[in-house]
Amino acid sequence: MRELEKLYNRIVQRVNINLRELDFDVIPFARELIPPDQMTKFYAFYGITPDHPLDLHFKHSALAGSYFLGKCRINNSLLYKSDIRGDELKRKKQVFRYQNFEIPLTTDEVIAIEDSILVKTLVHNFSHDPETAEKFFIKNTLAMDYSNIHGAPSDGCFLGPFATVDLTTMRDCAIGCYSYVQAGEINHLRTAPGTIWVNSPGNFNFLYSYPTEALAHYVSFSPENVPWGVLFDFIEDRKDAFQRVFDFVNLDAIESIPDTASLDRFAVVLPKTRIEDNVLVAQRAYLENSILGKGANAQENCFIINSHLEGLNVTAHGAKIIEANLETGVFVGFNSFLYGKPESKLNIGKGSIIMPHTIIDIDETLEIPADHMVWGLVRNDKELAENSIALEQLVKVETSFSRGKMHFEGRGKLFVKAFKDRIHHILDVNGAFYDGDKNEGHAQRNQNLSLNTIQPFHFGEMEGMYPDIQIQP
Amino acid sequence: MENSSVKDLMIPISEYATVVLGTPLADAVTALEKAQEAYTASKYQHRAILVLDNNDNVVGKIGQLRVLEAIEPEYDVKDKIKELNHYNFSEEYQAQLRNKYRSEVPILKTEQLKVIATKKVEEFMQKPSSGEFVAESCTLDTAIHKLVAGRHQSLLVTRKEKIIGILRMTDVFAAVFHEIRVFDV
Repeated sequence: MRELEKLYNRIVQRVNINLRELDFDVIPFARELIPPDQMTKFYAFYGITPDHPLDLHFKHSALAGSYFLGKCRINNSLLYKSDIRGDELKRKKQVFRYQNFEIPLTTDEVIAIEDSILVKTLVHNFSHDPETAEKFFIKNTLAMDYSNIHGAPSDGCFLGPFATVDLTTMRDCAIGCYSYVQAGEINHLRTAPGTIWVNSPGNFNFLYSYPTEALAHYVSFSPENVPWGVLFDFIEDRKDAFQRVFDFVNLDAIESIPDTASLDRFAVVLPKTRIEDNVLVAQRAYLENSILGKGANAQENCFIINSHLEGLNVTAHGAKIIEANLETGVFVGFNSFLYGKPESKLNIGKGSIIMPHTIIDIDETLEIPADHMVWGLVRNDKELAENSIALEQLVKVETSFSRGKMHFEGRGKLFVKAFKDRIHHILDVNGAFYDGDKNEGHAQRNQNLSLNTIQPFHFGEMEGMYPDIQIQP
Repeated sequence: MENSSVKDLMIPISEYATVVLGTPLADAVTALEKAQEAYTASKYQHRAILVLDNNDNVVGKIGQLRVLEAIEPEYDVKDKIKELNHYNFSEEYQAQLRNKYRSEVPILKTEQLKVIATKKVEEFMQKPSSGEFVAESCTLDTAIHKLVAGRHQSLLVTRKEKIIGILRMTDVFAAVFHEIRVFDV
């Protein structure tokens, strides 16, 4: 048995041991996860920048097509086309504040991935867990295609395709496909596909459950089949465009990008796209015939097609915006799928919040008014009425309300504030408010980024594995 | 009264409404009606049905509240509410939602009642708990203690391993009340 296969079997067993209490077996889902020949086909790469520590350790791992930035330790793991983005990790001598605790950091925070399989997964942000402030760990975990592990230390977990766990420490959990969880800490939890849960104990609790059959049209997976659905087809149809940017080590720079904006060299930009000041476009983003106004951003695995973002728009990891016009300050959450059509545009008013994992799929023009919050599945005006609320109305909720398949308990004012604060923070760290002097962020700093590649063993017992490597300045 | 035992007040099982496993609810209700018509020993009528297995052993009981619960669309509600338990929603919120769901679904709908009438008794019978049995030779003191501690409407009276009758709270109460009444204070 080759080393790659041994490693794969070892990790799958470890994940299963952790999930035995949930009676969840990952083997049927993991069987066809990564064809071994793919593991030699793609090189791995890492960023070098004066703004973040260069401190990478790879040991007994396979890293095909994956990207690393900052301080990362990868041990006994199998990564495939994943982004391990350590540009928001905490730094030595910083003080991490959590409730009434002030925790001084004695070392730079590290992303430590151990005994895990990550497939097309984004790892970003930092550990929000005061018990592990200097180590953002991911161990004994299997994350499937397009999942996001965002500020979420994980031990013994499974994330289905397009699942996101955000600012939450998770242990022994199975997160269903297209589920979004932000709950601080979760243990031994198994969520059904399409569960959207945002919980801040004592403040608010939001829960929406997708209708099972309707969600299956967009994202589905079963032990017998590879994952399928409209979302997979949508990405598959555009796969070739990424081939060119990954095939060439040096691509010609696109000259029309303003000095204050950043376009990653592993993003796809097709005509006629206009990028204005303070815009951030991350790797694996796809832009086509669109305008990104001042301070807008497109994060990893985003698709923005035939759309106009007026400015200060957050397009979070994995969000897709097609045939849409977004006024200023519109937020589109993780993995949302806004699917307008050429004859039926989607128009979203100023300051509206499209919650993470929202699907808007329309055949007639749809107008979302300014300052609204939208969630769940929206295919027409009737579903919009059922799955949205004016922010002005939400801030008045003092105890609870339910609407359609959504439940909310707590104070609406705190829920809105949490979102608004976070949106402002994202724009700030991305450099959207840069004035030529102050408020510099990723959009400006990423200009100082260069990339190096590393290659796997191509032959023999170690085929597909990478040599043990330490990379430091 | 001090020397009374359970067997002095119990109703023999032969005088009680009984049905066998597999009986539809509609037939069980008819059996209760018939038993009530035939029972003249007390002004308090039977209010429960005993469910027997093929060997005439009592395996369950159906009270009036249990029947009303069965015709309520409770089971659908339970599924909806169950999910919220996993996601930190408060008891108050769940209770509020339960009431909301219940009020949205009419109970006395012909179609709903038809479905309930054909359901088998085992789907909603209550299995007797360990505190629900009392031996026929026990004193009324013991029986009263068991009724009060377990909040039971009745106890199943046993002789060795066999259930031979029912001791109803109404009969125990009537007997106790009769004794109290003689003290004219």
